[in-house]
Amino acid sequence: MLVYTVRRLLGAVPVLVLASILTFVLIDVSGDPLADLRLQQPPPDPSVIQLQEERLYLDRSMAERYWLWVTGIGGNGDIGLLQGEFGPSTQSTTYDIGANIAERLGVTLRLVGAAMVLAFGLAVLTGVVSAMRQYSKVDYTLTFIGFLALAMPTFWFAGIMQSAGVGFNELVGTQVFATIGDGTYQAQGQDLWGRITNAFAYMTLPTIVLMLTTFASWSRYQRTSMLEVLNSDYVRLARAKGLPERVVIRRHALRTALIPLTTVTAVGMAAIIDGTVLTERVFQWRGLGEFFIAAVDSNDSYALMAWLMLSGTTVIVANLIADLLYGVLDPRIRYE
Amino acid sequence: MHRSRKTLALAAAGTSAMMALTACAGGADPAEEVRQITWVINNVPSQWASTSGAGGSVYTVQMLSGVVPNTGTYLPNGEYEFNMDVLAEEPVLINGDLDEGPFQYSFTLHEDAVWNDGTPMTAEDLRVTVMMTASPSEGYCTTCDPRGSATEDMIDTMEVDGKTLTVTLKEGMADPEWTSLFDFASAGAGFYPSHLAEENGWDVEDPDQLGEFYTWLHDTRPEWSGGPFQIVDGDLTNQVVKEPNPEWWGAETQVDRIIHPFNTEEGTFVTAFANGEIDGANPAQYSEDVILGLQDLPGATVTVAEGSTWEHIDLNTENEWLADVELRRAIFTAIDRADIAERLYGTGYPDYELKNNHIFNSDSEYYTDYIGETAQGTGDTEAAIEILEEAGYELDGDTLTLDGEQVGPLRLRTTDTDIRSTSVQLVQSHLAAIGIEANIEMSDDLGGDLTEADYDIFQFGWSGSPYFAGSAHQFWHSESGSNFGSISNEDIDAAAEAANSAPTLDEAAEYSNEAVELVVQEAYVLPILADPNYFFASDRVAGIEDNLFSSFRATYNIGEWALAE
Amino acid sequence: MSEKTLPDTGPRARAEAVGGPERTQMQMIVRRFLRHRPAMVSLAVLAVITAFAFLGPHLWAWDHRVHGEIPPSVPPGGDHPLGTTRAGHDVLGQLMRGAQQTLKVALTVSVLSTVVGSLWGAAAGYYGGRTDALMMRVVDVFMIVPLLVMVAAISGTVRGGTTWWAVSLIIAVFSWAQIARVVRGVVLSLREQEFVEAARAAGASPWWIIVRHLLPNAAGPIIVAATLLIAVAILLEAGMSFLGFGIQLPDISLGRMIDDARTAATTRPWLFYPPGVLLVVICLTVNFIGDGLRDALDPRQTMERR
Repeated sequence: MLVYTVRRLLGAVPVLVLASILTFVLIDVSGDPLADLRLQQPPPDPSVIQLQEERLYLDRSMAERYWLWVTGIGGNGDIGLLQGEFGPSTQSTTYDIGANIAERLGVTLRLVGAAMVLAFGLAVLTGVVSAMRQYSKVDYTLTFIGFLALAMPTFWFAGIMQSAGVGFNELVGTQVFATIGDGTYQAQGQDLWGRITNAFAYMTLPTIVLMLTTFASWSRYQRTSMLEVLNSDYVRLARAKGLPERVVIRRHALRTALIPLTTVTAVGMAAIIDGTVLTERVFQWRGLGEFFIAAVDSNDSYALMAWLMLSGTTVIVANLIADLLYGVLDPRIRYE
Repeated sequence: MHRSRKTLALAAAGTSAMMALTACAGGADPAEEVRQITWVINNVPSQWASTSGAGGSVYTVQMLSGVVPNTGTYLPNGEYEFNMDVLAEEPVLINGDLDEGPFQYSFTLHEDAVWNDGTPMTAEDLRVTVMMTASPSEGYCTTCDPRGSATEDMIDTMEVDGKTLTVTLKEGMADPEWTSLFDFASAGAGFYPSHLAEENGWDVEDPDQLGEFYTWLHDTRPEWSGGPFQIVDGDLTNQVVKEPNPEWWGAETQVDRIIHPFNTEEGTFVTAFANGEIDGANPAQYSEDVILGLQDLPGATVTVAEGSTWEHIDLNTENEWLADVELRRAIFTAIDRADIAERLYGTGYPDYELKNNHIFNSDSEYYTDYIGETAQGTGDTEAAIEILEEAGYELDGDTLTLDGEQVGPLRLRTTDTDIRSTSVQLVQSHLAAIGIEANIEMSDDLGGDLTEADYDIFQFGWSGSPYFAGSAHQFWHSESGSNFGSISNEDIDAAAEAANSAPTLDEAAEYSNEAVELVVQEAYVLPILADPNYFFASDRVAGIEDNLFSSFRATYNIGEWALAE
Repeated sequence: MSEKTLPDTGPRARAEAVGGPERTQMQMIVRRFLRHRPAMVSLAVLAVITAFAFLGPHLWAWDHRVHGEIPPSVPPGGDHPLGTTRAGHDVLGQLMRGAQQTLKVALTVSVLSTVVGSLWGAAAGYYGGRTDALMMRVVDVFMIVPLLVMVAAISGTVRGGTTWWAVSLIIAVFSWAQIARVVRGVVLSLREQEFVEAARAAGASPWWIIVRHLLPNAAGPIIVAATLLIAVAILLEAGMSFLGFGIQLPDISLGRMIDDARTAATTRPWLFYPPGVLLVVICLTVNFIGDGLRDALDPRQTMERR
């Protein structure tokens, strides 16, 4: 299994390289990062524009820049992935891409972590209930709610949730929910109690929004695999042996039915990072999603490349974990 | 089954406990006595000083309000006011007549003026600020990249005498806007503490070391302040927190804390305001629904007024058809500006005013109506057709032709906003009335598409400013990088150059108007109107008003902000 | 994601279906689908919406553009049953056009990525070994490069702006990779079956085997995935609009309408609700149809969805 893991990780390197080349070229053709500077009023001196071109290495060819981005050889010491430098940013001369990513990763993980845990729990619960009561009213209701969650545009739903949160606050006459920001600053100097209520106020709405879309597809997944297991021979056998239904479900059915969901969850971890872009925007969290948007808006190629390396690695690792988990949980699978 | 029911019950119990918790905590607010205002800044500032061209923006400037000292500002009513907290006297023009000798002027700082570490402000602070705001080719600083350096680059020598800085311009140069050197509109939005360079071990006379100081200023959250407030907490992504500067020598501040959250999503304003999370904002974009939504809320003051960005339609003279001035005149005549303006702002801001002079607003003393004299922008289709027929064009059914060849189709471009797309759709229909087919194409890269002149007709906005001397040169001079449609006219060039280097504002205005008149004759740029901006504030606060003459907007007088009685 | 061997489940039953009993199986599927009531209702609703989107514009007086005669910001009623926008659009006209463009995008994405994805995935699964590894690495690349980078790059450089066609292409480029993975998984478990070996022994070319034998047997998961992709594409298009990368004005899509009206919920609800509700209904019906298809094609079939 170790050999397998190492081989998979090595196999990921060319994928990352290819993805980074593709991205680099795409960003490069998408526009002039200095366009806004040129439109300043009054216009900046030509020597200033030249200075920026040198700083961003725009005076070099695309191929040279890519090589520079990887190795940092011949740069100003602020670039070169292999040396641990992410390159200069178009957003400002002092914008540190690495530090920014690190800081924002924490913000995003907080949001994603909470949403995933909730989504997983709810998905298992509703999936199992739906499966056990297949074609009942409960099943139909849960199915409908799930599909509804899958059908709503995130930002639309988020806007409605914000209004609902404010409406609730007005109803109870105190500010239970906050609608913008991640609450880090508001938690400063508070005691433990204050921090808990603060976290609840700032995290509830965005977590619900992010959780809901993921939860729906996972719940469907859990329902299907549970149904499959319930119809399987060994569960029938367990029942035939006269085991109590509770034991059959918990010991035999649920355990097996959780296997596929676990792997889907691991893969979903990567997908959910994409999903945070919209949620972070609407709730004004400064996480990786906002980082990404700002980088796209300002043609910030090195920042985008750094983001890509992070998200790409996450996708690859998450997929690997999914496969390994599958192997651990399901003894029928062997890795060569 | 029992299992899942139990879990459900548990979950429900947990939720209600949480609700109870928050309900309790909401009642006891420990920060009740702190007089605090939360004022939104509409984007992230990206750096800690506003001089650099790679990130200096109005958002950085607004974040630095009350921290960076400056020598003057335009007031909301359009009058200029020197900052007499900072200045000992109004700046002095020593010599404005180039025949007498070089152009010379001086600034003298107030004797009580100090930085918040107790160090007095001196003329050295002013001098070093100029050195960092001049372009690198001036030789003061190797890596400084100021976003605008026109005024600074004219300077030949600076002499420091205690609190007085005397500036001498290069031979033959005059600067009608010399008083702006350290005011709100300068690249640094004011001046910076030079003694911090020495404290950190940099020699400002060394161009490399000055560059390091410059980078440090942009990179480090300022603990320094020369205004009523100082920044005590915050970062460049979420918010900054300001508290009063204990060394402030001016009138005492009325609030204990100001929080500036950075908010990029206008869709959140109404809910966040209703929820009491923010006290107000001066957003960068006009949004009728947000305005209406806020007006419906109790306790909100909302104002809408003419902003500084003015929309205009540019023609690309490099296009084979548009090279003909008669066709350009006909096109501008066919465009109905009143129709456009009424549709855009008729309900939300009915006080809009069409713009009839590219450089001066109608309330300026230098204003002359040049557009109104012509038929341009009237939508007079018959007059337009008359111009065309006289110039040899023929309207063949629905198609305009010249020597049997169809004119156009032309590429009509703009950026993808509701306002601009509406406008170009109307322009499209106006042009169709004179037989010209225009195809709308949106632009995702305004700067790039303009610079490459990748258009036939383009609607975009310039940001107007009370400072105008360099405008004609930037917009229309044949050598200017911002003359995107490549108008080339010797008379315009001459007028623009003269305006840029006139010794007085009156003369500069005269030449600017001359350039405007010529541009109107050339039918090169048709101004439509200035986009309105809005502002909203809670009734909790007092002393806050929008200032559309300043990039500081409502924060221009942050030292006077207070809570309502 | 590649080297694992899937447990041998579903396809066993279908292996014998390739010869004579095809029709009866087909009839069974149809019958099962017809019995799935939510799917049938959804199908009917979707048909009505499609007619509204594609036939509506021919019957209704206003299109989606600004017209001088339309008064600004009129609430629903009279000449404009769904009201008008500030600039002078008829909301009903916009809604028809928006639904049309949204459906066009969704269907194009679904067809494009299903065709490309199934051929790619089937080929990878059939050939196996090095070819498989190489082909799946390419799939991985497309799963890593962020959609938005492509959008920004492509929409900024395409002459004529971002049309519905460009939007479809971009989403398709992003989504075919997932179909390829699903199909490859199914083909991997099919290729050792007797009927494939038989075809191979009879001298059939690899492409013949893929198109004639493998893909038809993988039709279940492919059809379900293609259906669900429609809903995913609609939501992606809406998300792109919100971030400013969707279909560009003066053209309109439902996502674009929702985005434009996102601040209008309380002030001009007639702009806010109709596009949102219509989009939700479309996605909802598509999901139910997908559910019905899944049940009909193979009651035990599951599929992976991101």
